[in-house]
Amino acid sequence: MPVRILLVDDHPIVRQGLRTLLEGRTGWEVVGEASDGVEALEKVESLQPDVVVLDVTMPRMNGLEACRVMQQKLNENPVEILFVTQHDSPQMMREALDAGARGYVVKSNAARDLLEAVEAVSQHRVFTALARSPQASC
Amino acid sequence: MKLRILLADDHEIVRRGLCALLQKHEGWEVCGEASDGREAVEMAKNLKPDVVIVDIGMPYLNGLDTTRQLLQHDPHFKVIVLTITDSDQVIREALDAGARGFVLKSDAARDLVSAVEALQSKRMFFTPRVNDLVLAGFLDKGHAISRNEPPNLPTLTVREREVTQLLAEGKSSKEVATLLNLSTKTVETHRSNIMRKLSLHSIRDLVVYAIKNNIIQIQMPPQLRTETPVLPH
Repeated sequence: MPVRILLVDDHPIVRQGLRTLLEGRTGWEVVGEASDGVEALEKVESLQPDVVVLDVTMPRMNGLEACRVMQQKLNENPVEILFVTQHDSPQMMREALDAGARGYVVKSNAARDLLEAVEAVSQHRVFTALARSPQASC
Repeated sequence: MKLRILLADDHEIVRRGLCALLQKHEGWEVCGEASDGREAVEMAKNLKPDVVIVDIGMPYLNGLDTTRQLLQHDPHFKVIVLTITDSDQVIREALDAGARGFVLKSDAARDLVSAVEALQSKRMFFTPRVNDLVLAGFLDKGHAISRNEPPNLPTLTVREREVTQLLAEGKSSKEVATLLNLSTKTVETHRSNIMRKLSLHSIRDLVVYAIKNNIIQIQMPPQLRTETPVLPH
């Protein structure tokens, strides 16, 4: 199933790493990149991706705030948001899901969890996996 | 013959990004990847890469101590340190450890290729801010940044720094002993020596010391809505 993905992380090298993982999957396309929450909001509007892969800690506007604003603005057609973050914290994960995200994985395990996570959230299923609890819940 | 590069970063995603960047360059080859400092040191001894790129914040053995151990083993290793911060202290420690390149992770996509090219040509590479600090050091000897000037810290041995990092990461003495192939009693002795040398009284103090001195790295998360703000008293 084709999936159009927007990557949002303030480190270009991380975005490159995410891209190499995601573009290995047939039919998946990285349609754009953003380096902070403000740029992410602009690109979600212009590119209309199926999934936004979103970092938490970013300049100008962090990922949690960007997620809230995105879901408010796109109220009738919400975009699926997957957080990929350094923060291996149940509290942060709860906050992310409350903000309207469908998925949450930690960067230290992104190579293991990312593809499954994007597949799940693109099908509107929840996917969460902290490093502390290796079993993913979806 | 291709320039052989060893990558050391605890995040596979970052290593993939670095690989993709470096392998576009004809004549370069990523000969190995390590996910922590101890693995990086072992791999470097076996693979003898031309350049080693180390993340500053890795588990078990951080990037600065990895650099020190690599250069103790063989002073010909050329090391580029990748860091999320360019604080004066980190810069000073990276230079003192013997790094020949210093690149901010946020600028790695822009600067890393230039850094490797510089080291390939037997030059050093530092971000503009580091260059400014080094120059300021030459102009003002009161704040000299010099490889011969020791950091203004109590002196821990290499082993003590390793133990400090592992304890600050939350490992028990028994776990540290297993990782370092020591007896628990030896680790306990190191622990006592560390606490005495640094005038620390608890593991919490040790963690604070490790963070302040870049032995471990933390990234502060944004304030959560569910958190009660901590008021100063």
